[in-house]
Amino acid sequence: MFRGDDVSARVAAANRLEAVATVLGEQRTREELLPFLTDGVDDEDEVLLALANSLGKMIPSVGGGSYAQSLLPPIELLLMVEENTVRDAATASASLIASALPDEIFQDKYASMLTRLARKEWFTARISSAGLIANAYPRLTQTQQEEHLKLFAELCQDDTPMVRRVAAQNLGIMVENVVQVAGRCSLEEGGVVTTILIPLYETLSSNEQPDSVRLQTTENCVVFGRVMGNLTLIQRLLPLIVATIDDRSWRVRWTAAAKFADVINAYNPIPGAMDALIPAYEKLLQDPEAEVRTAATFNLAKVAQGCESMILPMTAVGAEGDDDVSAAANFTGERVAAAERLVKRVTLMTEDDSEHVRAALAMVATELAPILGRDATITHLVPPILLLLRDAASEVRLNLISSLESLNKVIGVDLLSQSLLPAILDLAQDGKWRIRLAIIQQTPLLAEQLGKDFFTDKLSSICVNWLGDDIATIRDAATRNIKELTALFGTDWACDHLLPSIDEIRQNSSYLRRLTAVQACGRMAVEMDPAIAQTEVLPLILEMATDTVANIRFNVAQALGEMGTICDPNVYDQQIHPVLMLLHDDPDRDVRFFADKTSLRLEEAFAQKR
Amino acid sequence: MTTSDIPASVRTNSGNNIGESSASSTDKTYNDLEGWLSKLSVGTPLAESEVKSLCDMARETLLNESNVQPVPAPVTVCGDIHGQWHDLMELFRIGGSAPDTNYLFMGDYVDRGYYSVETVSMLVCLKVRYPDRVFVLRGNHESRQITQVYGFYDECVRKYGSANVWKLFTDLFDYFPLTALVEHSVFCLHGGLSPSIDTLDHVRQLDRVQEVPHEGPMCDLLWSDPDDRSGWGISPRGAGFTFGMDISQKYNEKNGLSLVARAHQLVMDGYNWSHERAVVTIFSAPNYCYRCGNQAAIMEVDEQLNKTFLQFDPAPRRGEPHLGRKTPEYFL
Repeated sequence: MFRGDDVSARVAAANRLEAVATVLGEQRTREELLPFLTDGVDDEDEVLLALANSLGKMIPSVGGGSYAQSLLPPIELLLMVEENTVRDAATASASLIASALPDEIFQDKYASMLTRLARKEWFTARISSAGLIANAYPRLTQTQQEEHLKLFAELCQDDTPMVRRVAAQNLGIMVENVVQVAGRCSLEEGGVVTTILIPLYETLSSNEQPDSVRLQTTENCVVFGRVMGNLTLIQRLLPLIVATIDDRSWRVRWTAAAKFADVINAYNPIPGAMDALIPAYEKLLQDPEAEVRTAATFNLAKVAQGCESMILPMTAVGAEGDDDVSAAANFTGERVAAAERLVKRVTLMTEDDSEHVRAALAMVATELAPILGRDATITHLVPPILLLLRDAASEVRLNLISSLESLNKVIGVDLLSQSLLPAILDLAQDGKWRIRLAIIQQTPLLAEQLGKDFFTDKLSSICVNWLGDDIATIRDAATRNIKELTALFGTDWACDHLLPSIDEIRQNSSYLRRLTAVQACGRMAVEMDPAIAQTEVLPLILEMATDTVANIRFNVAQALGEMGTICDPNVYDQQIHPVLMLLHDDPDRDVRFFADKTSLRLEEAFAQKR
Repeated sequence: MTTSDIPASVRTNSGNNIGESSASSTDKTYNDLEGWLSKLSVGTPLAESEVKSLCDMARETLLNESNVQPVPAPVTVCGDIHGQWHDLMELFRIGGSAPDTNYLFMGDYVDRGYYSVETVSMLVCLKVRYPDRVFVLRGNHESRQITQVYGFYDECVRKYGSANVWKLFTDLFDYFPLTALVEHSVFCLHGGLSPSIDTLDHVRQLDRVQEVPHEGPMCDLLWSDPDDRSGWGISPRGAGFTFGMDISQKYNEKNGLSLVARAHQLVMDGYNWSHERAVVTIFSAPNYCYRCGNQAAIMEVDEQLNKTFLQFDPAPRRGEPHLGRKTPEYFL
């Protein structure tokens, strides 16, 4: 099979290696199967990929960790092939095998394999080595560690950019491992990190590198920041990370923008770092590319949270030409909390040209409220939020409404509703139905806080109007809202302000509107004083049982099932039961089905009551 | 719970079981169907064995329907869906869920979109569970030949590992009614009129239980399009004909119809009147093929045969509320 002509058969064979190995037994697998496979590593990429995946799973088949080195020869060949998916799979398998190997074999066979790969003439081998070498570092002997660190440094300065890229991706791992093995002394003057790794970082983030390599700058910076608290070192690194925000490639700036909260968190304990980083972040928020601004905006709340306790110089808002950000660090004037400084950005960003940026802003802006506290929120955050609520793009408005709750918690719904009510009334009739839905879903909460009188005055008529909306989902949400309002404001209020309109909808010429009325009745009745529900709501439902449209009749049956349980037994016997019997003989099978279902449910409920 | 309680609760349970097993087999069928519907409503395809029993039931139901299936008003009339399952769910959000809202679908449930299996399973399930509330007609894509080219066949093989489910559904498609008549007044069908058909009785006489032929009256009903030019014309589609206003007006008059409602053609607003309101086209797949940028529409016909059109846009994508938070890797 493995030497057959059919590629798919060879792929299948490569996928079934484990099974073959089980049949052969551990010894023959090691002595026959694996050498055979090692010979065959010049096949189609698909076959090699399957082989690379299978080898990682074969550790038990060769007799466990102490024999796992027998898997290394074929893996070493696969780590050199041209196709990167094969190498990636081989790299993953190699890591698995490495972790199964006992230390002495690891230090002997595995380490020397990495050394060989790092020195191969063809760059693909060096790529694989660059991907594995950092992870292997902690388990090596001290001499080997020195040697491998030197190899890694060479890979970081390799002639081929692809090798440097993978090395850059692993620099963070290397830093962490080195610090873990050598301890904090490596961070000091003359330590390994200072003499070897930081220069590497400087090289990899320099402007001469292609952007695929520079892309790693931000993430590596996070790691460096996390492992060290040494001030002199920070002095060397900060300018590098700050430089990424001015990088000529938007991909590099995008990565910086997307990871900036991590950067802030990593450098948070270091005094003075924020003075350079926050202006840098502000610059990302004004990046020429909308994608970068969007990514930076999503981090707004997290960045503000990360530097919550930081006091920063208050720079002039909108100082666009602030090229030398480090100058801000020397500023000695008035200082304000970081969040307070950032919130000023929000106002400026409400005028961003890109809808996506504003939509992102609307999603996170309210999360600043708990960080700012009540007073600062009212002064600084509410005005831009009002602007966003009137944004031309519905996405922006919807994102904001969905996130109003965190604002609500900080400034209280009273204040919120007073300043937001006009906007809410506007949105309650928005052309996009999902916006209307978002408003309906906030209504019970609003009602609770606004109180009965204010709500009745301003919002109750809108709640009734929603029952007649063209979109079914809105009508359904409206009936649920009616139920909640009834529970909140009580039976009398519902009878005065809701029932007359619902009664009117019952007469509508469209069955879909009448249906809404029946459903609203059934849902609100259960929240009412049973005695009043029976005299005021029940008749409205029962009358609909003779509607010409079957859909109304089976919804009557369902509504009776919903509210029937709160009725008195004699009301059930005299009013509900006869109607259900009528519906039981209905010509329409769906009416009969739902009538019988309700009968069963109510009979059971009343049997228990009696 | 004390040990003495256990036998009692066991007894109660077994009592209930006996009660259920003595209930009619319809209850079991309803339970199956409702189980499948709740699966499909979250987008999980049915198992192959479930599709088999569903198609067996559906054949029984559809066999009883006429080539010109009478449909009572009120009903909501819908056009092409084309495997856009998320947008079918949006359609129900707009028009209301079955059985509360009555529906008539005018064909083309499969092909093009990525969820033909879920879409057609859902609609057939609704048809079987609520035969008086939901009506499904045959479109030109409900055919063995077309589905092998436009995606349904491949989707079945991909999702089930064999063509069995495709075979089950395409065999079932042969039984779908060709046309429907709402309250003797609105004639609904997928494509359009045929030069070989003058009256509704001609349609009733067709033997519909077969693969859609390459020509002839049955083919025309599923393939034809209205046109600005009068009379019959050759269709650029290579099947069916184009028909002018004179044809549709004469046909409506002769059969006492107020309107021909049909689907089959992409219209940017989701619906489009033509032939001085003798014909309306309804298309219910928003952003058709995920790229056309069109709106979708459905037509609510109320008890007095008043017509209301509801337009809608694609459903927001799953998991991504309203905005892509991430730039895809391939942009980087």
